[in-house]
Formats: sequence, C-alpha cells, structure tokens
Amino acid sequence: MASLSLKHIYKVYDDTTKAVNDFNMEIADKEFIVFVGPSGCGKSTTLRMIAGLEDISAGELRIDDVIVNDVEPGDRNIAMVFQNYALYPHMTVYENMAFALKTAKVPKDIIHQKVTEAARILGITDYLERKPKALSGGQRQRVALGRAIVRNPKVFLLDEPLSNLDAKLRAAMRAEIIGLHERLGTTFIYVTHDQVEAMTMGSRIVVMRGGFVQQIDTPKNLYNHPANLFVAGFIGTPRMNFWDATLKKEGETVRIRLDSGSELVVDGNTLNRVQSRYMDGRHPVTLGVRPDDVLPWREGMNTTEWAKLPATVTVVEALGGETLIYGHLGVAIPDDPPVGAGAEEEAGKAAGRDTVIIKAPAEFEAHRGDVLDIAVSLRKLHLFDRETENSIIPVVPIENVCACTLGNGFLIFASQRFSLPPALGKAAKEKAAPSAALTLPTGALLLGTGSGRAKVEEAEIIRSEGVTKTLYRLTVGGETVFAAESGEPRFRVGDALPFDLDFSRITVETAGGPPSSGITPLPVENRLNGRFTKEKETDGKGRKVYRFYLEVEDLPVAADEELREKLFSCKGTAIFRTPLSYRFPPHAVTVSPRSGNADARCLPGRVTETLDYGRTIYARITVGNQSVIAPYDGRAGETVNIAIDQSKLTVVDAEADIIIV
Amino acid sequence: MSMQNHDSSSKRLLGMRAKRAVGNTAGQILLSALALLWIVPLFYLLIQSFRGETGAWSPTFFPQTWTLDNYKRLFTETEFPRWYVNTLLVAAVSCAITTLFVLAVSYAFSRIRFPARKPLMNVMLILGMFPGFMSMSAVYFLLKILLPNNYQSLASLIIVYSAGAALSYYIAKGFFDTVPKSLDEAARMDGASRARIFRVIILPLSKPIIIYTVLISFISPWCDYIFVSYIMSGVPDTGMYTVSLGMFRWLEREMIQQYFTTFCAAAVVVALPITLLFMWLQKYYVQGVTGGAVKG
Repeated sequence: MASLSLKHIYKVYDDTTKAVNDFNMEIADKEFIVFVGPSGCGKSTTLRMIAGLEDISAGELRIDDVIVNDVEPGDRNIAMVFQNYALYPHMTVYENMAFALKTAKVPKDIIHQKVTEAARILGITDYLERKPKALSGGQRQRVALGRAIVRNPKVFLLDEPLSNLDAKLRAAMRAEIIGLHERLGTTFIYVTHDQVEAMTMGSRIVVMRGGFVQQIDTPKNLYNHPANLFVAGFIGTPRMNFWDATLKKEGETVRIRLDSGSELVVDGNTLNRVQSRYMDGRHPVTLGVRPDDVLPWREGMNTTEWAKLPATVTVVEALGGETLIYGHLGVAIPDDPPVGAGAEEEAGKAAGRDTVIIKAPAEFEAHRGDVLDIAVSLRKLHLFDRETENSIIPVVPIENVCACTLGNGFLIFASQRFSLPPALGKAAKEKAAPSAALTLPTGALLLGTGSGRAKVEEAEIIRSEGVTKTLYRLTVGGETVFAAESGEPRFRVGDALPFDLDFSRITVETAGGPPSSGITPLPVENRLNGRFTKEKETDGKGRKVYRFYLEVEDLPVAADEELREKLFSCKGTAIFRTPLSYRFPPHAVTVSPRSGNADARCLPGRVTETLDYGRTIYARITVGNQSVIAPYDGRAGETVNIAIDQSKLTVVDAEADIIIV
Repeated sequence: MSMQNHDSSSKRLLGMRAKRAVGNTAGQILLSALALLWIVPLFYLLIQSFRGETGAWSPTFFPQTWTLDNYKRLFTETEFPRWYVNTLLVAAVSCAITTLFVLAVSYAFSRIRFPARKPLMNVMLILGMFPGFMSMSAVYFLLKILLPNNYQSLASLIIVYSAGAALSYYIAKGFFDTVPKSLDEAARMDGASRARIFRVIILPLSKPIIIYTVLISFISPWCDYIFVSYIMSGVPDTGMYTVSLGMFRWLEREMIQQYFTTFCAAAVVVALPITLLFMWLQKYYVQGVTGGAVKG
C-alpha cells in the first residue's frame, strides 16, 4: 500500500549505453501499472531498479515519499515475482513461503498462520510439503505469488510472470492476478511484452521503446489516442493500418490524399486539433486506421462517416468468429511478398505502407485476387507526422501554428492587431513581413485582459500527475486557437473574452526572409556550465567542516543541504569530478542590485541588456563568459547579485547528458 | 525402382552396422590394454605388501610366502603411525580451510560485480598456471618471517597448502554461474543478507561442487612430497614427517633392501582413506539438484 515516484530515472551501462532514459512517473496507491514494450526496451531494467536489484544511475526513486535509491532491496518492503519463479529448489513450498518471514525473525506461530492463509487464498494448501520440482508450472507460479503475499509488501513487482505458462493457463492466471490485486489492494507493477496482457490488466500502461517512455496512459486512451506511430502499431491486434498521405484543407473539408492514389474527404471539424501547417497538401503524414474501423463496403453506408476505397485481397484468415482480410489498397496485387501475421509484428515499420487489414464478419467470403470496396470510418482516424512519427492530433495541444503579418511595431494575427513590446518593436522595424508563421504555445495566450477578442467554443479540464489544467478551444477572427491555463475553468462555453499574447514565448518565422528575421522566444531555461565542489572550512566554533558549492566560472554559490543530499545520493563523490550543467527557468532567479560585499548565496553578474516585454521586463546578465535571462528592471552595465532558487534547479551531467536532479 | 532403392539402403545400413561393430571391438581392446597397464603396478604393489621374503627385488611376480608381517612391522616398529596422524591432521585442516576459501571466492566472483573483478580473475588464473613449487624459496622465507621460531612445523604446511587455495576458484565459479541468479535476487528481496543467501540458499544447492572441492583439497596435501621435503629438510626429529616424506626415505639406497615390503604395505594404508572418501562421496555427485528451481 504505497505510492511511488520516479523522477528522471536513468540506467547507464559503461558510462555510455543508456538502457533507461529519463523515466518520470507518479504511481498512486493501489494502481495496477503495466510496463510494456518489445524486448530490450528497458521495462525490466526499470522494474529491477524499483526492486533495488539494479543500481539507479541517476534520478530519484521515492516510495511513500522516502528516497530509496540507496535502500537494500530487502528493506524496501517490496515483493517481486520472477519470470522463472526463482523458487528455492531444496525447500518445500511451505519453507519457500516462510523464508522471508524467517529471515525477519517472525515468531513461528505467526509464520504458520500467514503461510496457511496465503496458501488458502491461492489454493495450494495441499502442496505445502512438496518440493518445487514436484509442482506444475501453474502451481509454481502460485507459490511464487504466495511467497510475495505472506510478506504483506507495499508494492508488488511482477516480471513477465506468465510468459512460461501455456496460453490457457496464462488466461486463467491473468484473471487470478487481477483478482489478487483487488483483494490485496496493493500497488502492482507488472512487466510484460504482451500487449493483450497490458490492455486487460493495467489501470495505467507505460509503453516503452529503446529505453524511452513512449506514452503513459490508461488502456482506453492508449488505444484511442496513441501518442506516436510506435504506440499505435504496438497496441491493438491486428495492428493498425498505416498509409502514407498528405492533407489539404479545402474550405470546411480536409482532403486526405493517400500516396497509393485513393482519397478520403473529412469534415474539417474532426481534425481541428491538427496544426494548419500539415494542411498544405505537401507535408508528409501517415494515416492510421484500426482494422476494427475498416469494413467491407455495404450499400447504403453514410458517406459522411465512411469513405469507400478499392482494395485487392492477398490473404484471408477465417478465425471462426470473424474473418481477417489482408490486402493492398488499389486494384492490383503488387509484386511484394504477401502480407501475413509476420509482417504484423513489424509495428511502425515503413514496409507495406499500402497494405490493409480488414476485420470482416465471419460469413464474409473473399479470395486472393478479389477486388473489394472497403469502408474506412472517418470518425476514428489517426494522423502522424511522417518524420517525427508523433501524433498530429494531440489530446492536449501544446502550441498553435497560424499565419500572421509582422509590421512596424505590430503583429496581425487572425485579423487582430497587437502592439509589439519595446524589446521586439525595434527589431520588427527591419523585419516587417507581410506573411509569416506564428507559433503560439497554448500557455502564451493570456486570457482575461488585453486587446484581443476571442470566443470560447469548448472548455476541457485536464488532470494529469496531480495538476489540473483547463484547455480552451477558442475562435479568434475565424481561426481555431487552443489556450491552456492552470486551474479549473474560469470561462464558459460561448463567453467572449479579451486576451493578450505573451510575446516572450512566441515564435515568428518569416517565409523566405533571412534566417535572422522573425521573432524568437526567450529561452524557457537558463543554462550555466559549472561544477560541484567542496571546501574545508572552519565554522564559528573553530571546528573543521566541509562546505559545498555550486561553482560557475570559478564563482562559488553555497549549495542547499537538500540539493547536496540529492546529488550525493545519485552520484556519490563522483559528483565532484563531473562537469555539470545547471538549468533553471528565468523565474527561478531573483536579481538584486549589488551593494557592498559579495553574498555567498549569490552569483555576481553584470546587466548587458534589458528586454522590455511589456508585462515583464527581463535582463540579460553575464556571469563570466556565460549569460542568464531573468526578470529584472535595471540599467545596462549595472552589477547585480543573482540568487537562484535551488529547489527549481535541474542539474545535468554535461558529458553524458543525464539529468541528475 | 522403389525395390532397388530399398535394397541399396538396407545394404548401406548393414555396412554401417558392421563398421560400428569393428570400431567398437577395436576400441574395447585398446581400452582393456590401457586398463591393464594402469592396474598392474597397483596390483603388484598390493601383493608385494603381503610378501614374506625380504629385499627389494623378488624373482617371481607373485610372492613365495604370504604374510601380514609387513603391516605388523609398519605399525609397531616404524614411526609410520605418527606420520600418518600428522598427514591426516595437515590434510584435514587444509581441506577445511581450502574448501571454505575456494567456495567463498568463487561465489564472490560469480555474483558480486566489483571494480577489480575481471583483472583479479585473470591474474589469479595466470598465477595458477605456474607450478606451485616455483615459489618454494620465497615460501620458505615468508614462513621464516611468519613463524620465526617454528617454521619447520605442521602449521607451516597447513599455511602453505591453504594459502593459495583461492587460485583454483575456476571450476567452482563455473558451477555457481549455473545456479540461477534469480534465486539470489529472490532471497535479497526476501531480506536475506549475502552471507545468509550463501549459507541457506546456495550451499545446499551446491553439493556436487562442495564434494569436488573437498576431495581435491584433501588429496593434494595428502599426497604432496615436494613442499614437505623442502620445508622439513634437515629436521632431526623424524616424528614430524608426513607419510610421503617418511616413506620416501625408505626407498633410499641404504634402506630399500630392508624396507621395500614395508613401503608397499604403507602405500596401501595411505591409499585407503582416499579410496574410501571417493567411494563414500561419489554417490553425492547427483545431477539435477537444481531441478524445479526454475521453469520446468
């Protein structure tokens, strides 16, 4: 019964190979989390780091708010069920289950009571005196679970526990483990490479690939809103159909032109979250459609919901309850080898981008070479950027891209005019451009004040990782724009509201202009390269003590105790030898005019430039040969003290590019 | 067509069978000859220990008169019983220490990853390739420093035999490598310390390798001559000798005529404990102790 928190967890072998990259997750009490991914994706390594069987190279693991990076596995109060069960072969089932309690010197009668209780739950009471080798696979699996249960652990870790069982037993044990989770009310973390197991068991699923987390979400969301091509191809059987395509907006509709020659016409509203830059008829995208959403065409199907495409059958798999039809878009079979179950495994591969898998009713008859009309549901389309492979229909949009005009001291966007702040006004004189592309992060719309006018079309509350946000869909002069705010909704659907732009966060790219033209946003984080050092000093009472410093350009800043502990717990004394990059947002910096002696908690700097963004005035401040941006209203040339809020500091190993804290 | 095929294939089959029979017979003859070569000297030693005639050389293969006098003499007139006890003591203590060292070192190399692990393993492997007696003179001086007043003693022998024991970690490490690591991990999750895992989980599963290590580490001090002769050279008190050193004296030119048959009797008595040890422990070389531990 525990919550877990994983922050920037890395596993690095030989200082170069990263098996797990920047794993972040908050796991609430009683959740059933499944890590899923192809072999070698880092899921087992992550689990073993939680167990304590592998060292955590960098990052912070908390169980019930206690950092456990350096706690022995036996002291973490975690139980683990291994893929090969790992029963002690020379002990009876009873002794196997009692081992942990015996090690903890629990009185014999309590051990007996707990073991018999666990055996009763799992139905292995009759085998208690047997040795593991006299048991069947399923019984061994139960003993392994029993060994975990008797300890009454905070967290259950299960490492592919069902992969050694046959299909029938696996389904039965799957149900049993789900039942066990409900009965025990404990946090479960379950590793599998089987997406069916993941979908049926997990309350949330972590999809991993090559050491990177691809998506963390509920089974339903993973299925309906895959974040990228890999997740889309990995989750769901048969695999999602992928067709290369381009999008073109034509009035109220969007024309999806497939590279294989066919076309689908979609109501523009269903794709309103797709950024307009994808709608130019050129940008390469990949269309994804699940086989469940592709049917053989029937007369009388509604053409606003279904698109009719021709396809040629290559393979027919009659499964009894339904029939899977594999084929190619178009009216001829290409010379490629036919698509089959093998090709299906190659999730996300570029091969066979015009192949189609159709889930047809069982009574549907088709043969190799038949040309069918297929119906593609237009309501459940998935679209991915072909280069980044990320979904371009985000659940939560992070930025808007739209056309704008950059003029002398002003910017026109969606036929509304905004004055540029002094920091940009001067620059924009030379940069005036009649047509430019504006990238507007959803957080850069400041709602409630300003000269802009917008209408709320939709307000959606988004809760993730304990943070509540509101996402508004607005119309601004005919354009759809998304804006996000933290907290509950302040405006209702239909409200007209004023808004302003946060010019420090927008990007304007002018078409065909020189690279320096346009507007670049202020960096969201400052980076200072430096080291972490210690000095032997004498304290007030004359004792020798070690003091610890963040050192930038040989200028020391006293380190907070908490930061020091975190750095030590992750890197040990190697922290003193590692070149570091200190990263922090501009708002984590407090700048004050410098007077008198240097403060041990501040870096000295010099203001080189002030940047007036209207609402906030920023200053560019140099520290040695490096510079930081911070909110400060001062004069150029002024010397200042820079104090950094160390709780908002990110420390990165500059050599290996690993976030340490 | 098909008949022909059948015929030729049955012919080929016959040919294969004949070939196999010839090969087997030839092999058996060769092996029997080799076995005889091995057995004859041992058998000769055994029957000579019951020979009534004295002297080193006898004109017949089988003794003219049979007697137990050689054994009687061995235990009553010579210092052999003392040597025997000495050797037993040295071998038993060295065996205990060596077994412990070898198992502990092998387990550590098999399970724990520490910075110097690979280099250490290589260095130990290479060192183990040199014959131990190459270091004799160094060992002599080291012992002189370690036990200044008592370096020509049984204690010295025990130190010499057990100090380098860990060098022969390789076979035991190979065995531990086959014991699934997940057992250790499961026990660690169960809260057991490394020592407890080794004692309660790993050792009970390692009977074959424990037996093997015990046998090897008992036999080498039991049979060693080189180190004993070097360390004990010039010791006036022959009661400090081990069997190999004492018995070798009997084969010297001036003794052999008088002691040869006694020597044969002593050799039989020396071979006895090892033979018994082998016969007793052999049945523990049971395979499949780990059966049922993992996936079945």
